[in-house]
Amino acid sequence: MKMLTCSQLSNFLTGFSDKIVKQFMLLLLFGSVSFCASAENQGTQKAIANSQGTSLKWLPASALPSFITEVKRPTWVNNAADWYQKKSVQGDFQIHGFIGQSYIVTSHNDVFGNSDKGGSFGLTEAGLNASFRPLPKLLVSAQVLSRRAGEGSSGTPRLDFAFLDYRLYSHEANQFGIRAGRLKNPFGFYNDTRDVPFTRPSILLPQSIYFDRTRNLGMSGDSVQVYSDLSHPKWGSFSTQFGIWWPIVHDRDTRTSVFLPGMGGNLTREPSYIGRGIYETNDKRIRLAVSGIWLNTDYVRRPGESVGGQSVSDGSLEFSPVYFSAQYNAERWSLTSEYAIRHFAYSNFNNKTLDGIHFYGESYYVQGEYRFTPKWEGFVRYDALFTDRSDKSGKQWASENGLSGRGLEHSRYAKDITVGLRWNVTPEFMLRAEYHHVIGTGWLSRLDNPTLGDTHKEWDLFAIQGSYRF
Amino acid sequence: MNPYSFRSFLQITFIYYCLSTYRFFACRTLLTFFLLTASQAFAVNHYEVVINKSVGESNISVNSLRSVFSMHLKTWPDGTKIRVFVLADDDPLHQIFSKEKLNVFPYQLRSTWDRLVFSGTGQAPIKVGSVEEMLEKIISTPGAIGYLWRANINENVNVLTIK
Repeated sequence: MKMLTCSQLSNFLTGFSDKIVKQFMLLLLFGSVSFCASAENQGTQKAIANSQGTSLKWLPASALPSFITEVKRPTWVNNAADWYQKKSVQGDFQIHGFIGQSYIVTSHNDVFGNSDKGGSFGLTEAGLNASFRPLPKLLVSAQVLSRRAGEGSSGTPRLDFAFLDYRLYSHEANQFGIRAGRLKNPFGFYNDTRDVPFTRPSILLPQSIYFDRTRNLGMSGDSVQVYSDLSHPKWGSFSTQFGIWWPIVHDRDTRTSVFLPGMGGNLTREPSYIGRGIYETNDKRIRLAVSGIWLNTDYVRRPGESVGGQSVSDGSLEFSPVYFSAQYNAERWSLTSEYAIRHFAYSNFNNKTLDGIHFYGESYYVQGEYRFTPKWEGFVRYDALFTDRSDKSGKQWASENGLSGRGLEHSRYAKDITVGLRWNVTPEFMLRAEYHHVIGTGWLSRLDNPTLGDTHKEWDLFAIQGSYRF
Repeated sequence: MNPYSFRSFLQITFIYYCLSTYRFFACRTLLTFFLLTASQAFAVNHYEVVINKSVGESNISVNSLRSVFSMHLKTWPDGTKIRVFVLADDDPLHQIFSKEKLNVFPYQLRSTWDRLVFSGTGQAPIKVGSVEEMLEKIISTPGAIGYLWRANINENVNVLTIK
């Protein structure tokens, strides 16, 4: 585990974000060293003051062997503890975390492990984050995330985000700033915090918009973003984020999702763009958002590979979804809906099959939440996904791929009706349960269900989850 | 006795009785109204937004106040850090303050803070366990802002007027 983490980190260091991360680490290191130095000085001074105050004769520290003088370290540690306590009391230094464990049972298809055969504890999520405000306008924050979910996520800790946020302009309720480092991708209402059970409406987010299958690609990336918060006393507030990012593309799940059978090459990342604007009324009753991604990746072929009996050259994949989100919040209930139209295109492969892939996917969900009491909440949701909106039934796709008559059209869509209940036992501990009835396998993980022919069109999923946070 | 005069006497007495009753009712209604408004005024004004003595501000706009408690506005106009203190989500003072001063429900503030904390784009306010602790923290923390019942406010903190 540890080794894996290290190798991940070293991969990360050698990656594009090299400079940003190095500077970031340098800053942390510099900060901690200078603090240590001052803390140590203070400690020594205190020790001297103490020794002068006592009537006993103490040997000067320099007369003692070095291993004894090293005993002063506890003072240093104490000082560090004092410093930490002072900063954390003032809120400048904060540590937060969460852990969630789910139990999932399904009929037929597998979700996060062998859920079909007697259920599985396959979904474990844990995160730990720290943030520090060394200057009034500077915020440094980082989060490590571990997610164990079927074949797609092994639980290996990954650096989820680590960045600097500098407030360039601040006047009354209007803010403008810049962030650099590894950042969460701002799209939709939930992507920024999709792995934190407390912040999501359900155990599984609406899969049509928040695919868990390509989550590693969509979750976070190395990025530079500018942001602004504008607020008007009557009209409400408008927040925007816009950035250039380098997506993280080298994981198995992403490749299995976007590659066709026969493709065995690699994806390399190209500069991509992401942006989101959120409008909120002042009472936060109405929230409206538009987000867009323009994701570019290049494909490097494996020598000699062929698709559809034709050779393949290096090409590129473009994925450009646009999301529209809306929410209404009353005291007892909330109504949320999101719609996405996703453009997907392969180009420059010099291969008829691949270069012909060019389609629009469509997804949406409508969700109602009701707070019976502050402790008990319930929700109902209808969620629909169509991989290709011009072929909603998947029939055309099946005939083109020689799969007609095998009933596999259902892999091109999914319609999911969900009901769930949540119990906030304490502000830190939460339990919930939900039931899904799904028609179609459009968002089912190919890694968890490697044989397409073994999947079932109509299936059910029941899940319970316990989560703790601090 | 003139039956007419007796009748008019009765009438007058009756009217007088009615009027007095009416007056009584009217007075009672007025008094009730007065008490209600008084208690309502009391309900609106029996707590205040308080700040540490180091903060050089005496008033704040509702808009800025909302921005401060949404953890978006991070510095006072003089450039020093704003440090926000809050009570638990289900604390009556926190609920009244959220709804009346900020015009948002406590659950909306909670989700705003969670979004900031777990995306790294901001920090959470510091939660205190009681109004006594709130007072203590506001007194001792430079740049601190919070809210207190009037009964708990003393001369060691400043009250911030909302414009």
